[in-house]
Amino acid sequence: MSSLQIQNNQCFRLEEIIFSDKNNFLKIVSEHLANGFRMIGLFPPDKSKPGKIIAVLANSGSSELCITGGEFPRDKLEFESWAVSFPQTNYFECELAENYGYIPLNHPWLRPVRKQNMIAGGKAYQFYKLEGDEVHEVAVGPIHAGVIEPGHFRFQCHGELVYNLEINLGYQHRGVEALFLEADRNRRIMLAESIAGDTVIGHICTHCNIIESLSNTPISLRAQVIRSIAEELERTAMHLAGLGGAANDIGLALAASSYGRLRTLVINSLADLSGSRFGRGLFVYGGVRFDFDSENINLIIKKLHTVRNDVKVINDFLFSSTGALVRFEKTGAVSQDSALKIGLVGLAARSCGIELDTRINYPYGAYRYFPVSQITLSTGDVFARSRLRALEIDESLRFIFEQLENLPEGETKTAVGDAEPDSGVVAITEGWRGEVVHIAVTDEQGRIAQYKIKDPSFNNWYGLSLALRKTEISDFPLCNKSFDLSYAGHDL
Amino acid sequence: MIDAIKLRILQGDPIVHDVKNANLPKLFRGLPTIADKPCPAGCDKCAAVCPVRAVTAAPVKIDLGRCTFCPLCEEACPEKLIHYTNNYHIASDKRENLIVTKDTKTITPARAAKKIRDYFGKSLKLRQVSAGGCNGCELELNALNNVNFDMGRFGIEFVASPRHADGIVITGPITRNMSNPLKICYEAVPGPKIIILAGTCSIAGHVFENSDQVQRKFLEENKIDLYIPGCPPHPLTFITGILSFIGR
Repeated sequence: MSSLQIQNNQCFRLEEIIFSDKNNFLKIVSEHLANGFRMIGLFPPDKSKPGKIIAVLANSGSSELCITGGEFPRDKLEFESWAVSFPQTNYFECELAENYGYIPLNHPWLRPVRKQNMIAGGKAYQFYKLEGDEVHEVAVGPIHAGVIEPGHFRFQCHGELVYNLEINLGYQHRGVEALFLEADRNRRIMLAESIAGDTVIGHICTHCNIIESLSNTPISLRAQVIRSIAEELERTAMHLAGLGGAANDIGLALAASSYGRLRTLVINSLADLSGSRFGRGLFVYGGVRFDFDSENINLIIKKLHTVRNDVKVINDFLFSSTGALVRFEKTGAVSQDSALKIGLVGLAARSCGIELDTRINYPYGAYRYFPVSQITLSTGDVFARSRLRALEIDESLRFIFEQLENLPEGETKTAVGDAEPDSGVVAITEGWRGEVVHIAVTDEQGRIAQYKIKDPSFNNWYGLSLALRKTEISDFPLCNKSFDLSYAGHDL
Repeated sequence: MIDAIKLRILQGDPIVHDVKNANLPKLFRGLPTIADKPCPAGCDKCAAVCPVRAVTAAPVKIDLGRCTFCPLCEEACPEKLIHYTNNYHIASDKRENLIVTKDTKTITPARAAKKIRDYFGKSLKLRQVSAGGCNGCELELNALNNVNFDMGRFGIEFVASPRHADGIVITGPITRNMSNPLKICYEAVPGPKIIILAGTCSIAGHVFENSDQVQRKFLEENKIDLYIPGCPPHPLTFITGILSFIGR
């Protein structure tokens, strides 16, 4: 197959990408998709030259990663949609149409991704509508009842049952990808830390991997381990927050407040290390800014001992409570078949029995030397998504303690040189929600010419929509919390 | 039942009792101090390194409204004039008071007008609007309700409907797509009402300031009552800022 095989965080030259004509390109991508590849990127590598696009495809089962390019006639930026046969490409095609004007023909459902109520070609978008007796529509948002990010949800209901949930986002769109092209290095770090404030470490780690790969900078093992510890602290903190949220949504206040208390300990551990409860300022190009010393390491170990001890009691309490199980089990289930078709990633995919974890499938940083276990559950419901988070907390804490007890010696910073010109890198890390993908392309002077970001939420919002089908509308908050998706990460 | 009791005992007493004198981690970056020494001739390293133009050199001034509390300027200063302390009292009712000079020792918001204190002094209900916030500020505002900070004990709470609110808290740089919903939400709040900006994004736009997807007109058209800096603001900065503002 005419595609460029690459590795996670491997710098490649742009001229190595094979550009086929449109029909061949469509065929090559279809063949890959039929052979178990997932789309993780679809965009033009150079905005100034219309007509050329690349598709980045990943096969987590075989740990393959490849890029293939297509050349379109400049006056006719249209293509036969893949989404009819491979629904997972649906949203990527919508994004390509919205951002760059490529029109997917026969696309099953061309929707706005970030623009409000407009689709490609400047046409007004019509929301999906159900008609008939006993049919009603519930529209909520963009501003919701709690302290959460904005998004618009439309439920088409028949009686109490939801037939379709349409999720309309874009309210948080700040233009992050465009800002990356203008920003200098210090500003880029700040931008990467602010893509999604709940995945600060996930995004900044991916971004640093991009820059370090482009400049061929080797990172010391100690810095890699500190980065991974920060990643696992973030995962633990957000899983605790999510479990607390789920407990809150079913009215189990004792569990909710206990999870909240433990989350405080975990994010305060990050503050002991970096001065920020979210780990802002920890990452620099070439390593980490802050190091463990005898003082902060003891503070952190003490806090995490409490977490490890108490979280067991809380988990036992939550997952043996009949009231909780009745609400969790069989609620908002997504079948493995659907999950594969729509390309779910991260913990939502793993709770459907799909083995998909970047730390294992495309290992990077310290995970190449100190592996973590793949954890999957099979039922794909709220129970699986919540239980999986509890299990992942245990695994993350195991990893953190293992590393803290055997911290490698060495420097924590390496000088970073200039980026290679006319090159590209695909960097994937496993944020707590799922795979965080950044793809960068440089111009002939080594400046960043194209920067694409895919937060796991980009794939998973549609999963929430599927989970709600034939479910009661009153289950929405619980389902939403169990997916725990980012609005800012989707809207960028 | 026994599990529940066990859990309650483990819970212990995690609350921050004295919110005005809490001890934050040593590295936490709050109010900076600027040493009373002259800058070396021609040096503007602190200003040049700042990605959000929060720092001006000779004499050094740091605008906490713009500051994202990264330690770049502290690292860049050859004379070590700048030092970020873990003092989290940095909220202010006036934008200009957020500019830290060598003379700045503390930042405290002045007490609000008597009418505001009479209305809201014992009970303040707020409607939060995330207008492009990355979920960092939102997480910290949610943490205000957890067992550690428990803002509800002071009668300050977030409510669902703007109709039930006494004011709004804005997070995020105010995206184009949220500028209208924000305006509608504010108009739905009955008067008298206050506007609080929480976080660098809402106060000065953070790194998104010059994005064409950001529309900050709302802030020019309305009077801002309280600025709470931070990226994101620490929950205690938020609580103590509001308590001082309503005169408690």
